[in-house]
Amino acid sequence: MNVLELKDVTKKYGGFTAVENLSLELEPGKVLSLLGPSGCGKTTTLRIIAGFAAPDEGSVQIAGEDVGELKPYERNVGLLFQDYALFPHMTVAQNVAYGMRYRGAAAAAIPSRVKQMLSLVQLAGMELRYPNQLSGGQQQRVALARALATDPKIVLLDEPLSALDAKLRLELRIELKEILRSVGATTIVVTHDQEEALSLGDEVVIMHAGKIVQRGTPTQIYQSPADKFVAEFVGRSNWFHSTRSGQSSAGFTSYLTGDGVEIRAKSSPSGYNGGADLCVRPEHIQLVDSAAPEAPSDAQHNSMAGVVLDVASLGPDVHVVVELPGKVRLLAIRKNVGKITGLAPGQCVRALFSASDVLVFDVDWR
Amino acid sequence: MRAARSKLLLLLPAAAVFVLFLVFPILIVLNESFHTFEPGRIGSVEGGPLTLANYAELFQPVYGQYFAQTYVLAICSSAVSIVFALPIAYCIARTEFAWMQKAAISAIVGLMFLSSLVRVYALELTFGSAGVLAPLMSIIDIDTNSRMYINFVILAGLLQYSIPMSILILIGAIKNLNPRLTEAAMSLGASALAAHLTVTIPLSMRGIVSAFLVSMTLGVSAFVIPLILGRGRILFISNLIYSRFSEVANYPSGAAISIVMMVLALLLILVMSRLATTLERA
Repeated sequence: MNVLELKDVTKKYGGFTAVENLSLELEPGKVLSLLGPSGCGKTTTLRIIAGFAAPDEGSVQIAGEDVGELKPYERNVGLLFQDYALFPHMTVAQNVAYGMRYRGAAAAAIPSRVKQMLSLVQLAGMELRYPNQLSGGQQQRVALARALATDPKIVLLDEPLSALDAKLRLELRIELKEILRSVGATTIVVTHDQEEALSLGDEVVIMHAGKIVQRGTPTQIYQSPADKFVAEFVGRSNWFHSTRSGQSSAGFTSYLTGDGVEIRAKSSPSGYNGGADLCVRPEHIQLVDSAAPEAPSDAQHNSMAGVVLDVASLGPDVHVVVELPGKVRLLAIRKNVGKITGLAPGQCVRALFSASDVLVFDVDWR
Repeated sequence: MRAARSKLLLLLPAAAVFVLFLVFPILIVLNESFHTFEPGRIGSVEGGPLTLANYAELFQPVYGQYFAQTYVLAICSSAVSIVFALPIAYCIARTEFAWMQKAAISAIVGLMFLSSLVRVYALELTFGSAGVLAPLMSIIDIDTNSRMYINFVILAGLLQYSIPMSILILIGAIKNLNPRLTEAAMSLGASALAAHLTVTIPLSMRGIVSAFLVSMTLGVSAFVIPLILGRGRILFISNLIYSRFSEVANYPSGAAISIVMMVLALLLILVMSRLATTLERA
């Protein structure tokens, strides 16, 4: 049975439709990421599940029970707020114990449960501290312990890592995942940060303008985005907007852009021949010196001459910007594995990528 | 060093005004309170011996009654105004609509600009012994001349000031609170009421104490309200001080009462802020 079922949920604020006809199911023990830009309706969805906003239409079921009429405190939903919302006038132990007494825990059982929760989040011994005596990461763990202490049916995490600095974020992400897995919590992570969404979620739901655009595993989302929005929103990408297509053979077509660039890619699945938006992920682009022997340039490969514009070494990755004829810019990402041939700005190179690595989207005429 | 010195220099004018117009006059009052008074004179006996008699006199029961009347009514009005102001302030501070907040705050500020004399006479014309509601009161068997009734009318007069003032102070306190805190409490199973009792109120305790103290100050120092609404039957200490200075010209006694009031006020502030600190961490 699904722990959560949203059916055709719509929520409007005045003339603005925050969530439109949204349906979502979630199986027990799964972690689902709700990813989208700000204003896409993901926070409204979270507030509807938690009971802080009532849907105008549609139904919300938690563990098979329709909770449409239930107040937030009548649903057993654990919430982890972006700013943690720890009670500043209570100690760590009081914070963690807060929900238990309202959720019917026996008073005698509370101290041991608090201890258990704090050791789960590796904060044993911190019981008597006040939130302002803790670091950001510690506060987040207290908030997590507080949310999990009542054994909620669903745990909702609102941008759980965004308030932390980059290094801590990685550590806590791994830890958060472990904790959620160890208690088997059914979880929804709401975030605009794709790294957070892709790394925490067993599955990712991409939202845009109040609707779900795609649901899939992180790999599916990245490798086969459902539409241009997903392709552009998740990961980095190079775009070519072709207005017409040329020859096609054996499932591959050559597309021409207005700048005179020719790209070979898979034929449009709809069979439409007028043109397409093409997307190439930067890590699929190989750069070779233009003096190197000519690479195969057949219907399934692309080879373009260009000039290196900028090289940025970002630790494990090196980002190279190449300018193609017609001022088209291309970003290529190479792994910094030590055998980098020194690319320098001004150098003439060839950019190579396979036609099957190009994502093809029909031009949106709307 | 230089910056520090110029900062001190900037403080000087204010400090001079403060000393000249506040500290010095209070010292004069303090000095006056230790002098003897002979009936028929204006002020103390010049060159007379210092005495504590003016203070000793205040231990007579009749004075206790003045103090009790003043403080009981002021405490009641402060407590009642917190009870009324807290929910109103919460709604104003948390409304989604900015215009509604502005309108509400302007209305409350506007209310406070209304002349106190006008309000007091409005109350008297409505609830006084000759007021429009007097016939109704006699039907339901309420004696408009009883002390109890007069106390209630004075309380209503005090609330006219203390409620708007408390609302304005509490709006600030509640706006400083993270609204996620009540949501967090509710997501953990606390009902809206329980969330407010365990989170909103303890965390606005500073604001509540400030509002209480300001209402207390307004109440204790009220002059026109008890003068008119009390109809001579109920007098506040301010009225007593006034009559000591202006009617019988017994400056030393008036001065002693004033000094006692000041000390009581300071004690109250001390106790309340201690209390607030303990409540915040409870």
